[in-house]
Amino acid sequence: MPKKKATPKDKEVSSKLTELGKEIAEEIKEGKPPAFKMPVRSLSNIHFNEKKQQLELGKTYSKRSFMNVAHARKFMQTMLVAAWVRNELVDEGITTSLRDMYYALKRTIPGTKENTVEEQSESDPIVVDIETMLDVLREELHLNADVRGRVVGNVVIKDRGDTVDWSKLGSGGWSIPSNVENIEFKSVDADYILLIEKNAAFERLHEDKFWVDQNCILMTSQGQAARGVRRLANRLSVEHKVPLYIFTDGDAYGWYIYSVIKWGSMNLAHVSNRLGTSNAKFLGLTMTDIEHYGLDNYTIKAKDIDLKRARELKEYPWFQAPEWQREIDKMIKSKKKAELEALSSKGLRFITETYLPEKIGKKDFLP
Amino acid sequence: MTKADTIFKEFREHSVAEFFKKNRQMLGYSGKIRSLTTIVHEYVTNGLDACEEAGILPDIYVRIEQLGNEHYRVTVQDNGPGIPKTHVGKVFAQMLAGTKFHRFIQQRGQQGIGASGCTMYSQITTGKPTKIVTSPQKGKIYECEVMFDVKRNRPLISGEVEYPGDMQGTKIIAEFKDVTFNWSDYGPAEYLRRTAVANPHAKITFVAPDKQRFVYERAVHVLPKKPKPSKPHPKGITVDDLLDYAHHAKARTIKSFLTQTFDRMSSAKADEIEKLTSIDFKRKPDSVTWRDAEEIVDAIKKTKFLAPNTSNLYPMGEKQIEKAILNVLEPEFHAVRTRSPSVYRGGVPFIVEVGIAYGGKAGKGNGDSAKTEVMRFANRAPLLFDAGGDVITKVVNEIDWKRYGMRKLDDVPATIIVNVTSTYIPYTSAGKQAIADIDEIHKEVALALMEVGRSVGSYIRREARKGEKQAKRKTLLKYVPEVAGAVAKLTGDSKKELEVKLLDMINRKYAAGQMGDGPEEERDG
Repeated sequence: MPKKKATPKDKEVSSKLTELGKEIAEEIKEGKPPAFKMPVRSLSNIHFNEKKQQLELGKTYSKRSFMNVAHARKFMQTMLVAAWVRNELVDEGITTSLRDMYYALKRTIPGTKENTVEEQSESDPIVVDIETMLDVLREELHLNADVRGRVVGNVVIKDRGDTVDWSKLGSGGWSIPSNVENIEFKSVDADYILLIEKNAAFERLHEDKFWVDQNCILMTSQGQAARGVRRLANRLSVEHKVPLYIFTDGDAYGWYIYSVIKWGSMNLAHVSNRLGTSNAKFLGLTMTDIEHYGLDNYTIKAKDIDLKRARELKEYPWFQAPEWQREIDKMIKSKKKAELEALSSKGLRFITETYLPEKIGKKDFLP
Repeated sequence: MTKADTIFKEFREHSVAEFFKKNRQMLGYSGKIRSLTTIVHEYVTNGLDACEEAGILPDIYVRIEQLGNEHYRVTVQDNGPGIPKTHVGKVFAQMLAGTKFHRFIQQRGQQGIGASGCTMYSQITTGKPTKIVTSPQKGKIYECEVMFDVKRNRPLISGEVEYPGDMQGTKIIAEFKDVTFNWSDYGPAEYLRRTAVANPHAKITFVAPDKQRFVYERAVHVLPKKPKPSKPHPKGITVDDLLDYAHHAKARTIKSFLTQTFDRMSSAKADEIEKLTSIDFKRKPDSVTWRDAEEIVDAIKKTKFLAPNTSNLYPMGEKQIEKAILNVLEPEFHAVRTRSPSVYRGGVPFIVEVGIAYGGKAGKGNGDSAKTEVMRFANRAPLLFDAGGDVITKVVNEIDWKRYGMRKLDDVPATIIVNVTSTYIPYTSAGKQAIADIDEIHKEVALALMEVGRSVGSYIRREARKGEKQAKRKTLLKYVPEVAGAVAKLTGDSKKELEVKLLDMINRKYAAGQMGDGPEEERDG
């Protein structure tokens, strides 16, 4: 039983884990090969739901059986993770990192030279297995993903009993934790959220007090968006009906950051409904921006791998909008890509004073 | 004395030594290692033959001592009937005096060079005599030293002593130079190991120059049956042979000569042949001309005969090969096969026997580095040399051993044994170390090897399957405590109970006796 500060969610997750154990124990006692089912997470079982505008897991399940030698080790690891997460984390009200869990579980199996887990890369996917199987979030298992991303804006929240005002955090802003499930929004005053891929651009806009002038929430993912950033953007946008604009480099990697924030990722297709924000819009940098603002001299030649990735994206069902097809075709044709910093060629404040206000004013977005 | 006399005398004086020197390659004295092996072979063969003829289970002792560079002393002792004093000279110092020459009989030895060749080789390399100690009579021992009297071409016996004492058999002590001992496949040690395989009724003890002692215990306590001389089969005869036989025949007519001389030649068959020729079979056999002989051989070719009588062939037999393999090679698995008698060139009967030993001491080298070895025998005598030209080697190389679970034949701990038994082994050369590639023999060797190959193949596959099952079982077993512990933590069940149930489940699926692979017992300890 959960001991302290057990939330209803904790109780639910705890009993789901117990249930899994009971089913396995029952099979063992009956002399049946113990096994459990979970949705297949390979590309073949990931579908794009047009209506919800989300990546979703299909209905294909795989069975993991202890008596199958190919599954036995993973089966053992799944049971170890399930028992440890329930007993040490959920029921104790403790949250920790995947790395901690790896060290907690790693030990030599008696009488062998084999460890229960050899590398963290072995224990991480087991957590995703349990997430999909039991339909719970990693954060609900009290396991943190990477902490990355910052935010500023006219927002006041309550986090672990502390009240935090995002407008009064100086130059650093609020560092977005992995688990934002229990954050309570006291007040949200913003016309839109601007989520920026690059930290440098975030620093520029923050220093220029862009968010004060524009009355927006400024967020940076510092590269591919971590779960905390995605969930926070999702909650703000959905719970407080604030539009979400994404601002990345003008290349296939930037587009994919957008794709993951909007539609969900293939790795975490089972939680797209909570991590994906389907009404997000792509602000830039677009190929049209390059032409329009005369940035052509500041583009970079696209490498083969950039073009290859672009062609892949062009085939994804969720990139079939004519605007996106045009955008991708332009890039493939011109063989050019552009970084956010290209805008600085027009002056350091060009981005704050000209580019963003114009784009947002004209609602010049890609869907 | 005429000039011719002088020349003739000179010629005779040197003849024996010259003959030996000129023909030593042919007689097995080529190369320093091979020469020593030949010496051991001649003495051991004589010992085995003497014991078998006297109905005694052989007990052969061989010792090789190094006296200097390329200088060795060889001692061979048997437990045979001993050699009568009057015969010692003939046995040890008279060339071409053997009793085995040109008989249509299955035999082990070489031509009539044998022990005399050794005496000669000792004499020309060391100048010393060969010492013989023998007991032809119970309680009496006779000792002497033998040399060739080159001038008179006859034995020279000295140092004769007779005294009472307890001894059975004959002991030969001789020194040799220009020979080398080593542990290769061509050396005396390997020769004796293979002799032990082919002669499980003999006990063979070998003391090597480094004092290492090898004892091949007797595995079979019955002597092999004595081969009997037999008549040749007509289909195997050549014109020259026929003419030769006919001119020495005692029969009154050609017809009776044919029926008396040849196997399967009935009176009716002789009539049949007569009709196919223009020859009157009532003529005397010594009147047969080359043309007549040609006509008769042609007619024989057109006539059908019963297959040759094979009762005069004495193969080792599957039981004996099996015992020999188990005794010498102690394999994990073995398979043996004695084929039915067959005939080559239409008239020479032969039997092919094979055995495969796998694992244990089988193969060359030990453990993981063990390699496949092929032991060739002709009438039980090991063939160590000229492997490349031998039909057995050819067949072994032709067989697709992968089909029998031996991926790369070279790297398999296996000994392949092939023994060809025949009244006339078709050697490729006078060295008698390789059997000619004759279609019928080739086919028989191939069929026999494929038969035993199948047995070994299914054994190897069975073991591999067992190994896989064992590996799977072990994989699952090691996770049992972890799984049971974790599940128990989740549910509060007894870890012990879950463990027992899981172990039970695994044992039911993978454990001994549940393989469905026949009666073979699980070896796992």
